[in-house]
Amino acid sequence: MLSEGALTGLKVVEFTDQVAGSFCARLLGDAGADVVKVEPLNGDRYRRNGPYPGGVPDPEWSGLFLYLNSNKRGVTLDIESSKNRSAFLDLTSEADFLVVGQESGEVERLGLRRELLAAANPELIVTSITPFGLIGPNSSYLGDELIAISAGGMAYATPGIPDKVGDPYLEPPLRSNTHMAGYLAGVQGAVASVAALLSRTIQGTGCEIDLSMQEAVAAVMPYELAHASYDEAKPRKPEVFGVMPNAYLPCQDGYVVVMAVMEAHWRNLMALADNPDWAELEVFSSGVERARNWDALEPLLLEWTMAHTGAEIAQLAQDKGIPCFPAYTVGQMVDSAHVTERNFMIDMEATGGQRFKLPGYPVRLEKTPWGSFRPAPKLGEHTAEVLDEWLGYSPEQILALRAVSA
Amino acid sequence: MSTLPLKGIRIADFGQIIAVPYTAQMLAWLGAEVVLIETEQRLTTRIWPPFAEAEPGVNRSGGFNLVNTSKMSCTLDLKDPEGVDLAKQIIAVSDVVMENYSSGTMDRMGLGYDDVRPLRPDVVYLSLGAFGRTGPMKDLVGFHSVINLFSGLASVTGHKGSHPRIMGGLFPDAFSGCYCILAMLEALYHRANTGEGQHIEVAMTEVLATLLPEAVMEYTLDGTEPERVGNRHQYKVPHNVFRCQGQEKWVAISVESDAQFQALAQVAGIPGWADDHRFANAEARLKHQDELEPLIQEWTMGLQVEDVVQILQLSGVPAGPVLDSAQVLADPHMINRGFVQSPNHREVGQRPMGAFSWNVDGDRPGVPMTAPLLGEHNRKVVQELLQVPDDEFERLLANGVIS
Repeated sequence: MLSEGALTGLKVVEFTDQVAGSFCARLLGDAGADVVKVEPLNGDRYRRNGPYPGGVPDPEWSGLFLYLNSNKRGVTLDIESSKNRSAFLDLTSEADFLVVGQESGEVERLGLRRELLAAANPELIVTSITPFGLIGPNSSYLGDELIAISAGGMAYATPGIPDKVGDPYLEPPLRSNTHMAGYLAGVQGAVASVAALLSRTIQGTGCEIDLSMQEAVAAVMPYELAHASYDEAKPRKPEVFGVMPNAYLPCQDGYVVVMAVMEAHWRNLMALADNPDWAELEVFSSGVERARNWDALEPLLLEWTMAHTGAEIAQLAQDKGIPCFPAYTVGQMVDSAHVTERNFMIDMEATGGQRFKLPGYPVRLEKTPWGSFRPAPKLGEHTAEVLDEWLGYSPEQILALRAVSA
Repeated sequence: MSTLPLKGIRIADFGQIIAVPYTAQMLAWLGAEVVLIETEQRLTTRIWPPFAEAEPGVNRSGGFNLVNTSKMSCTLDLKDPEGVDLAKQIIAVSDVVMENYSSGTMDRMGLGYDDVRPLRPDVVYLSLGAFGRTGPMKDLVGFHSVINLFSGLASVTGHKGSHPRIMGGLFPDAFSGCYCILAMLEALYHRANTGEGQHIEVAMTEVLATLLPEAVMEYTLDGTEPERVGNRHQYKVPHNVFRCQGQEKWVAISVESDAQFQALAQVAGIPGWADDHRFANAEARLKHQDELEPLIQEWTMGLQVEDVVQILQLSGVPAGPVLDSAQVLADPHMINRGFVQSPNHREVGQRPMGAFSWNVDGDRPGVPMTAPLLGEHNRKVVQELLQVPDDEFERLLANGVIS
């Protein structure tokens, strides 16, 4: 039984082979919508991604699949066979949203454009997420996570301030080892979908959303774009960063953020370091001077940070009101008192009894909270249930579909 | 062109720096009337670079003007009780309040959720913090680098064997903004259906942690911490950026299938690659990527970025340019699609910027309008909206309550 969310009562059909589309549909499910994930007969690609409890590959226990597909029911259909395709079209004719996420050529080839579906369901909102969009000179380009992060400007901008590259000609632009572009496009796809839902309440009809992963990346870089638009593009190795210290440095057990851009913070920081003689040098007399002479200052600060653990420095500094923090590994973040007390992680248990966690919901709505209404579906788990419940298919009709599929 | 869905919704925007201003800007693009409440004594992005042609001025900052388009600006002294009273009057006629001050600041000013609910029982009130509004770290100030480093994101960003890196673009602010606007639209939909407002709380560190399901799962299963792998992928090879002709020119290439690799070998014109046992299949390529990557770079180094992209895309191999921010704004594809917009600003003229990342039925929704000058709408907000009489307005202005 579904709990009440802001989108309870709305129906979503998802057909995608990318992180972005899956995450977009999951977010609608997190808010209470009834999401039906249509998978090909051999299952979604991320069932084969891992990680797996116990390290043993199992399409029902791939971590990325579990994360992307909670709050959904699972239906398997071969939408390229005519009989299965008509079942798919029947589902879309009942739905408020169709979320698709493929390369644009696949969207066209599979006939997933709204103009082909709207006659049967004028209220349908089609949210289409593709690497470069459905229109425009590069729309046929193939792309994935790395391509979108690169073509959207994020790779060039990374590392970002106060970090910088060593040699800008030799050190390559960088992505994070995550599906960042997929999540960015997924969240923005959900935003566009709910905005279209609000428009539908006014105008009565649905629409087609054409979201580009490249643009979903570029859209989260207003600060970088502002540099190019107002002055000049920010170099990957700026000569000077405004005011220092605003950096992270190695310490005994990892890295620590040393941030003392205010004069009071700087004086307190120097007091913690036992007021070394160099602290009085003219070249370190202001934040701007310290930025200009950072190459000289960094090794001096390093002597101090390397004599302490990150936690020691953070404690000492925070007692004096200086915003210093140890850098956390993923494990330290998961185990931190803060994350634990806020109850952010979701507890999971695999069939073998292995317990693990997955990230939870970063927005907390007081009245319509996002919730874990159901775990990710097993392959084909709800095919019969959904075809009966949404479409009133008889057991014989459903069997006939299966026969075609087999 | 689809109807702008937030016509008639008014927003009191107490946003600081990027995250909440960026969220409120998107709501303005969707048709909401956004009143940005600024305090002249504590300006942030307005007095920070980049400035138009590097010339400082409160109306010349790109950092401000690119996250505050389509809004009104009202300058109130929130340290003055009369300024707070005006802020309350604005809230009383608004549907939404949004803020990202440090925890407790809005409460101390008498503008917290519990304070304003009696003024506007159905208000949707969003609070965003680096660490959120609860938990042992709620009072800590955290800028984007701290959020990168606390959340674990930096620990999966960096070259192999090297140190953690900070994502570009003040990433935590804008990514948090995307989640914030989603939550806000849901809350407004709920309010339209039920008449009920609510509070929304968001922690930026948690927003970033949503990127890390695999790492969180592996750590909680058996204590394994992720390694930094540069641009490499768990099974796609090659999967990296490669130097091209010119300075700081790079192309991204991502090969998933053996067929794509054969096509790459073909167009790169290196006979034997495709049959080389080191590269014959994904498993072999994974093992020998240290040898493969320099060979690919030898090929790309002799070519322009756009030529490599063109050649590979025509052969069915995913490839893309590594664009810097100036190239993003000049990209013919994104300009053609409507992503790049250039609202005209009274003081600095037309400046390109990014709009929404999607089209609706072929058109870009909610094209950005100009960003407001500091205090540009004081009269409009205080006199027209709040109906404060002329002489009272002049008195508030003379006393510095409105600046």
